[in-house]
Amino acid sequence: MENSIVIKNMNKYYGKKQALFNIDLTIEKGMFGLLGRNGAGKTTLMKTLAALHKKKNGEITVCGIPIEKEKEIRTITGYLPQEFSMYPNMKTDEALDYLGALSGIPKEERKKRVEALLNKVNLTQHRHKKIKELSGGMKRRLGIAQALLHEPKVLIVDEPTAGLDPEERIRFRNLLCEVAEQRIVILSTHIVADIEASCEQLAIMDSGKILWKGSVSQLLEKAKGHIYTVNVEKQFMAQIKKEYIVTGILPQNEYNTVRIVSDAEPDLPNAVLSDPDLEGAYMYCLHSNGCEVKGGDE
Amino acid sequence: MLFFKECKKILRSLSFWIFFVITALMFFTQYFNDGKFRASEYTGGYKIVENHEQIMNEAINTLMGEYTSNNYVCYPYGFYKAVSLKEKKKEKVEIYIQEMMGVDHNGIEDILESHLQEWLNTDHEGIEVYLESTSSDSIMDFFSQCPENRFDDLTVKSDLTYERFTEIMGEIDDILGGGSDFAVDALVFNYSRVDMTDEDSLKQYEAFIKYDRITYALARLFSDYMGIDLAFLPVFVSAVFVAADRRRRMSELVYSRSISSFKLVFTRYAALVVTMFIPIIVFMMIAFIQAKVVYSGEKMSMSAMFTLPTFWLLPNIMVATASGMLLTEVFSAGIAIAFQCVWAFRCLMSGSVALAGDIGKFDLICRHNSTFDRDIFMQCFNDFVFNRIFFMVISLLAVCIAAYVYDLKRGGKFNGFKLFGEGGLLRRKA
Repeated sequence: MENSIVIKNMNKYYGKKQALFNIDLTIEKGMFGLLGRNGAGKTTLMKTLAALHKKKNGEITVCGIPIEKEKEIRTITGYLPQEFSMYPNMKTDEALDYLGALSGIPKEERKKRVEALLNKVNLTQHRHKKIKELSGGMKRRLGIAQALLHEPKVLIVDEPTAGLDPEERIRFRNLLCEVAEQRIVILSTHIVADIEASCEQLAIMDSGKILWKGSVSQLLEKAKGHIYTVNVEKQFMAQIKKEYIVTGILPQNEYNTVRIVSDAEPDLPNAVLSDPDLEGAYMYCLHSNGCEVKGGDE
Repeated sequence: MLFFKECKKILRSLSFWIFFVITALMFFTQYFNDGKFRASEYTGGYKIVENHEQIMNEAINTLMGEYTSNNYVCYPYGFYKAVSLKEKKKEKVEIYIQEMMGVDHNGIEDILESHLQEWLNTDHEGIEVYLESTSSDSIMDFFSQCPENRFDDLTVKSDLTYERFTEIMGEIDDILGGGSDFAVDALVFNYSRVDMTDEDSLKQYEAFIKYDRITYALARLFSDYMGIDLAFLPVFVSAVFVAADRRRRMSELVYSRSISSFKLVFTRYAALVVTMFIPIIVFMMIAFIQAKVVYSGEKMSMSAMFTLPTFWLLPNIMVATASGMLLTEVFSAGIAIAFQCVWAFRCLMSGSVALAGDIGKFDLICRHNSTFDRDIFMQCFNDFVFNRIFFMVISLLAVCIAAYVYDLKRGGKFNGFKLFGEGGLLRRKA
């Protein structure tokens, strides 16, 4: 209880429109992935957990503190929004110092933490640069640093790797994994590879609902027997895309090796049952929950 | 300390430096220019001596002139407007004139006729040719539009009380839509001036030296000029500053910190007010040095140039800043700026025509555009003190509300009102 987030039967509305439906979720210490398409409700859930949105009903406790106690929640929560920026003319260390002051950290302590965090996110050599001079990846790392300033028990990061180059993405994921050793880290993303590389537990969301929750291995287990590899002549690709959920196409000389998701064994010559990867398992999860999946459909 | 960090942010903003430049321009082009000359160099002028008989007689002469030409000079909200009345309203005005002069319709006609005859008896170049070619009605029309059509010898009836006179003037001002020369609060200023004698001028100067100890008088003039600017300019800085978090996509990073909304909003408010007051303190110092130079050798109050403008101007900065913060949180920076500018402008333009001692209990802008007239200022001193404290309290209340609104927004319980665009309050339904 003291080291977990518990959400019970939580609903959230924007005006009359329901955005989250009966969310039940328990999140323990470590990295937790929240996977879903754009518009699935991930950001709404993240903001609700960061006490930036108000739930309609249900219960949420963060490390034993009810979400209604906003000030206490903000003391133990670090939040990195999907879209953020900082005052462009502030220097990197100055921005951290300012946000640290807003968190009520005493001056001397703030100085030490800013120093340590800049080092941790590899921005020490850029500390005197203005925010507007930082690259996208640097800004993201600075974002993590600001979220960790007050040493929160919970770190909520919303789509942090979107728009980063592969090297920055890997560096960022590793940083999150490091941070997650001592706290709950919730990583919201629509990029399956980010979850695959860093999370043990995850939940899949769509249209404001939790479709699935559990470990990555459980999700892979669930998809077992539904992922096939088949060699298809290029001229039949359009038909294959129409009839199946295609999760991967590897072009060969005269044919393509295609990975497809299917409830039953596909009526295709050479179709071979394959070990599911997380991407395929995610697509199968969406498909098996009745979501419209357009994998490969043109 | 968070306060100093907020001050630093403000000092880096373009809007603050625009504020600084405009206030500096206002100071140097207005007050500093006036302050170059010793007050003893001013001679002549007029003074107001409230003489009811003089007021009534001068007013009836002006009214008769404007009535005959059916062209009334009005300044509703400070803008010039020539008002022409339709027949029904014109008749109403005539009835009031009849009552004030104690004559009937024929009496009015007689007055106009004799006035015309008197005018015709004097030489007017080319008028003979015109008169031969036109009818008597046209002569009257022509005459009524002439600049010479001024009455100066009419008097009101002897038993007309000043109370009834002001009632009638109020009615006429209403008929004209306000802002006329007959507005009740402008009567004394408009019709009760007398030229100052040398003795009067000397007395004024003595009051300036003896009671105002020079700097009190100069501080009033300084505050009068700067008060106009400070009734609206701070809103630009505060509205832009408050909107910056959203514009810079910084809101959520700030919202998610543990600082209380009240502490954050009040710290920012204090930083805004203090930062914007710093240039004013600099101008006070310059004004004080200027006074020391211009009145070298004279005894003057060392503190007045700082204490009076602080008490006078600080509430203006506080109000405009608070209104900027509150309305930007509730609506948007644009609405906040528009509101404050309209409020300040209306206050400036709807004030009394007398610029000395124009201090109402609830006027945002206090005016006393004179180095002299200490007596007039002291007459409304209690109102002035009430006014300044009232606006300080109001501004603090507005900041409390702004903090409350900020807290609601921060917790996702309120997103602000939108006036225009999709979902806007003022959007027309299709």
